[in-house]
Amino acid sequence: MNDDTVIARRQNVDGSGHGPSRSGNLLSWLSDAMSEWRRRSTWVDHVMLGLRIALLIIVVAGLTRSLTSNEYSARDWASFAVFGLTLGSIYALVSLGYTMVYGVLRMINFAHGDVFTTGAFGGLIVAGPFIESGSTVGLIGVLVAGASTSAAIAVLIERVAYRAFSRSGSPAPLICAIGASFVLQYTIRGLFGTGSRAYPDVAALNGAISLGIVQIPLVQLFVIAAALLAMAVLHVIVQHTTLGTSMRAVAEDREAAALMGINSDRVVTLTFMVGGTMAGVAGVLYALVFKQIHAFMGFTLGVKGFAAAVLGGIGNIPGAMAGGFLLGLSESFGPAALLSGFGIPAPYQLKDAIAYGLLVMILIFRPRGIFGERLSVKRM
Amino acid sequence: MASLAMIKHPAAIVALALLTALPARAETKGPVTDDNGVVEIPEGEPLMIGSFLALTGADAALGIDARRGIEIALDRVGATYKGHPIEISFEDETCSPEGGQTAATRLASNDQLVAILGPSCSGAARAGVPILWQHKFPVVGVGPTSPTLTDPARGPDFVGFVRVSFNDNATGKFAASYALKGAKTAATLHDGSTYGQQIVRTFEAEFKAQGGTIVAEEAVGPTDTDLRPVLTRIGTKKPDLLFAPLYVAAGAYLVRQREEVDGLKNTKLLATDPIMAPAFMTAAGKAAVDVKMVGIDFRPETLGPAYQKFVETYKSKYGEAPIAGFHAYGYDALGVLMAAIDKVAVEKDGELFIGRDALNKAIHATAGYEGLTGKLTCDHLGDCASPVYAVWQFTSGDAASYSLGTNPKRVD
Amino acid sequence: MSISPGQSGSPWWHLALKAGAVCGFTGVYIVGVGVFSAFGARSVLAHAVSLGQLLLLAVAFTGGWYAVSNRQLKPFERWLASAGTGLLAGLSYAAVLLVARGANVQGLFVAFNQPTLSAALLGQSGAGAIAALAGLASVTALAGAAIRQCPSAVRRTILAAAVAVLFGALLRDLWVSLFSTLLRGRWWVSTIYVSSGGLTWVGAGIAVLAGVAWQIAHYLIGQRRTPMIDVVILMVAALLVPLLTNAFVAQVMLLVGLYALMGMGLNIELGLAGLLDLGFVAFFAIGAYATALLTSDSPLALAHLSFWEALPVAILCAAAGGFIFGLPVLRVRGDYLALATLGLGEIVRIIVVSDMAAPAIGGAQGIVGIPRPKLIDHPMVSQLSLYYLTFALACLVAFAAWRLQHSPVGRAWTAARDDEDVAATLGLDLVRSKLRAYVLGAAFAGVAGALFATTLGSVFPQSLRLDVSINVLALLVIGGLGSLPGVFVGSFILIGLPEFLREFGEYRYLFYGFVLILVMRVRPQGLWPAPLSARHG
Repeated sequence: MNDDTVIARRQNVDGSGHGPSRSGNLLSWLSDAMSEWRRRSTWVDHVMLGLRIALLIIVVAGLTRSLTSNEYSARDWASFAVFGLTLGSIYALVSLGYTMVYGVLRMINFAHGDVFTTGAFGGLIVAGPFIESGSTVGLIGVLVAGASTSAAIAVLIERVAYRAFSRSGSPAPLICAIGASFVLQYTIRGLFGTGSRAYPDVAALNGAISLGIVQIPLVQLFVIAAALLAMAVLHVIVQHTTLGTSMRAVAEDREAAALMGINSDRVVTLTFMVGGTMAGVAGVLYALVFKQIHAFMGFTLGVKGFAAAVLGGIGNIPGAMAGGFLLGLSESFGPAALLSGFGIPAPYQLKDAIAYGLLVMILIFRPRGIFGERLSVKRM
Repeated sequence: MASLAMIKHPAAIVALALLTALPARAETKGPVTDDNGVVEIPEGEPLMIGSFLALTGADAALGIDARRGIEIALDRVGATYKGHPIEISFEDETCSPEGGQTAATRLASNDQLVAILGPSCSGAARAGVPILWQHKFPVVGVGPTSPTLTDPARGPDFVGFVRVSFNDNATGKFAASYALKGAKTAATLHDGSTYGQQIVRTFEAEFKAQGGTIVAEEAVGPTDTDLRPVLTRIGTKKPDLLFAPLYVAAGAYLVRQREEVDGLKNTKLLATDPIMAPAFMTAAGKAAVDVKMVGIDFRPETLGPAYQKFVETYKSKYGEAPIAGFHAYGYDALGVLMAAIDKVAVEKDGELFIGRDALNKAIHATAGYEGLTGKLTCDHLGDCASPVYAVWQFTSGDAASYSLGTNPKRVD
Repeated sequence: MSISPGQSGSPWWHLALKAGAVCGFTGVYIVGVGVFSAFGARSVLAHAVSLGQLLLLAVAFTGGWYAVSNRQLKPFERWLASAGTGLLAGLSYAAVLLVARGANVQGLFVAFNQPTLSAALLGQSGAGAIAALAGLASVTALAGAAIRQCPSAVRRTILAAAVAVLFGALLRDLWVSLFSTLLRGRWWVSTIYVSSGGLTWVGAGIAVLAGVAWQIAHYLIGQRRTPMIDVVILMVAALLVPLLTNAFVAQVMLLVGLYALMGMGLNIELGLAGLLDLGFVAFFAIGAYATALLTSDSPLALAHLSFWEALPVAILCAAAGGFIFGLPVLRVRGDYLALATLGLGEIVRIIVVSDMAAPAIGGAQGIVGIPRPKLIDHPMVSQLSLYYLTFALACLVAFAAWRLQHSPVGRAWTAARDDEDVAATLGLDLVRSKLRAYVLGAAFAGVAGALFATTLGSVFPQSLRLDVSINVLALLVIGGLGSLPGVFVGSFILIGLPEFLREFGEYRYLFYGFVLILVMRVRPQGLWPAPLSARHG
């Protein structure tokens, strides 16, 4: 059973005059709709409905119990919000790469999380001298180094691992992407060692600002601001440049774009480049916040970036940004607001389970995301 | 259909015996008879010892440090025993249960091995030691500290296990007693590792028993990078002290991020010896300064001049100071094993015969052995150490400056 | 890699420049990620060549081979191109490493430490190193070119001999234990192997002869081979090799069997029904934990059944897990399904290790004390007997899988895989068909999980990583999607070989990655492809 046939049947049904009559009262309309649904739904639909209701009950119960327990002060909630926004801005930057690549290629770039890691390490190569110099230019230099490393790696992956495949819905490109992901992880590990590597402290970003009840570390403020700036630039590129137009055209309809004289291979390369740049910026920002990086950090982050993209509706660029922030917030609030109400011991062990759970739920119940996907062609 | 128990055909019996054969059973070789089998070492052939330690991965320092201790101990006896060269084959247990399983199986397949030294980590021991005991190899633990390994309820799989490293029951108790000197309330945080979860539970029990209050019991994933939400949660309870027996990576995130959490401004931090390594300072940078951890008292005045000399040898052989806290255990593990082999090995015409069961009993009977880490006397459950604990504190965040005594320095 | 041979009209030195740069970069990469030093300790040939050096030589060799294959150039120019490739590869490689040594970048790149760099530069410095390496690389490239230009029978024989030498050196443990059983004793070992692990010249000679013999045998019976004969040979080898060697070989083969079991499960989901499942380890976990809880003597145990009684329950639990997971997820399409199942697998892993579930399933402490299966009151303790148990179960499962594949159910899967819409229009209940595949795949994984628990005697949450799912996927792809013998071949190559090649341990997944990309690019149908009827274009 798939969505399209359902829709087709629905249109049939509506077209043949069985639709609810407007003049009837609301109750009879409701009972009509119910019996209509019962007639057309399968047992799977019933199970899914039950699942939805159960989930809703669990979430509402958890939230009310946690929020009424007064365990946390307003100040704590505010700190959670700041953590969530910081992490969320990084998720948002990573999710942009997924969304754009999915838009033009209809494939999940499984290695994108590791492209993010290469950005952090690319920045590390120059971080020593650049950051020690203490100048703002040095910091920007590190960002540029990270972004260009990631962009180059993203383009390389596209050339080596993806270009050969026609998009036929076979698992081949995804398996290649998994291979590329391994190669990147273990190359970084071989080059930089197995342990964590520390990022130098940026003196200018130490300290914090008081905002009402909460202290916000400068570095987090910087990360949120830089991420927003990067997204604004991207938005301008996509909406107001020739490159953006051709990207949107290819996403809309590849064949038609080719007929209009758009070189779709070039557009794909540029898409990977832009997505890689965003991931590289995210990698360096991440390193500035968390101060230590290691070769395998990209995997979970990649999955979460993808979750953010799906959350916002894949192919939808503003949606991806919103999805990133939403996921970051649900991770930082989730354990406190949802789990501790049930008296679960050590709720923060389950933090990732919340993010993955959110991903699975969105895919099951609303694969188009909260804001709807921006793809006219939903089929591969 | 005939029931299986009625099988009388000789071929079937042979096949059954083959399929279910125990790798070791009572046997007689030369002058020795032993319930668990006998190792026979022909003239000029090496006496072979197996070892599995954490040699790769984030916690490789633990295993490499212990391996160096074993190698120095080997040099001391000239790497020979009664004319037989001593060969040690090292395997990697990656500080994980399945790494322990794989390494143990690899060792267990070589029936020329007399005994096994290792592992470094408790998870690897829980998984690996039973496999080795199926093949009746005695195991001398070098680094695993989990109480379950020598618990009365540990089961028959651990009959062949002793350890020269300490037991976390004692570590947890010491940490709790030390914590109570300056704290009434404490919070705990572990990373879901076999080691961490257990030592935290011991600490909690002891802290409560001595009149303290545990206000939060939290946990994170070993690969979590953002600990601030969980630290905020702990901060709402305003504990006097946070006991966090984490490994290097998570420990570094913890010390970096605790400064950003308001609620922990007046909370002291107490960690344990897995982070007593240069790798921790590489990861934590300046945030490592003043971090306190519970570990073994390595001071020369406690351990005596032999240890001093050992450290000199270590430095000249490997070009650096000991990189973790397990070098002395490696040294002692081989010492205890060789002493036990010396008690049970029988020589005949240049051949050497060692009974496995006799060797295991001899190891368990170790008493008053003068080791680097103190006097070693094994009890019937396999604990041999009588550790003297200390609290250490980092004085610098520069990994190159790592040196027991100055950075970290002993503070209690 | 991605350079296409010979754009017409480009001069030979263009090709040499390109190929040389790629080879030089590859050489630097091999040193940089630490593969060179990890493989440097393993000697292949009597103190002469280490595995690390061999790998670097192979790069130059391949460069020469590639350059001389260019049909656009005149014969003489081809040789020039190949020599040029080697020369440039050696030059660029030496130059980069010399710079790295001069700049002392060890603090940043761990593998560029002084001992490794000086070994990688043949102990030379400055101009000497450049000259030596450029010369060596050119000669090796020309050798590659020369062998490429040989008649094909000669070329294949030479390559077979080289492969035999490599296998003889690297699988030393296997050969020694095998021939010790056959020849009664180890008196011959020192003739063939040097103590550091490599072959002696005598041993290398024997290996070359073996390779040549293999090639001749291949040629003689090549015309009469059928897939059936191959399968029989595989079966006989799988039955006899562990018996003739030692417990470690049996243990490795046991692992291979376990992964093959899971591979067959995923093969139903992915190979037949086209469902990409990255959360496969969840069902493996359910099987393992169900067995642990039903049989172990730990305080957590729910019952004290024997393995044989617990096995069906474990399989049912895994299948039920498949049903519960599958029902909501299976409407998700294509790549989305991969991510959804990945999420489910990770959720299971996180819950199993958590303090929340610890009172029921032991949390980080795992469950120990799982008894071995008993055969008429004899516990099966030896690795060999456990291996045969695995082998028997794998054969049973393989038979079931084979029957399924050729039943109406199997045909429905392939139909839905090839085109969902057409299948739905023809009245196929897609959800039911997919769910069936998913539940069966989960049940197979449950068998593997139960075996895993009983053979190891303990289960720990740390063993249930995503790597397990990825390994299963990779072996399936490499063996050939939809192909049953492919599952076993893939499992042996990905799970078995790295256990024998100890140096691979650290770099196993790096090679995985390259192999996955390479197989997908060059031979997407896998090493042992399914017959055409079961495969789609």
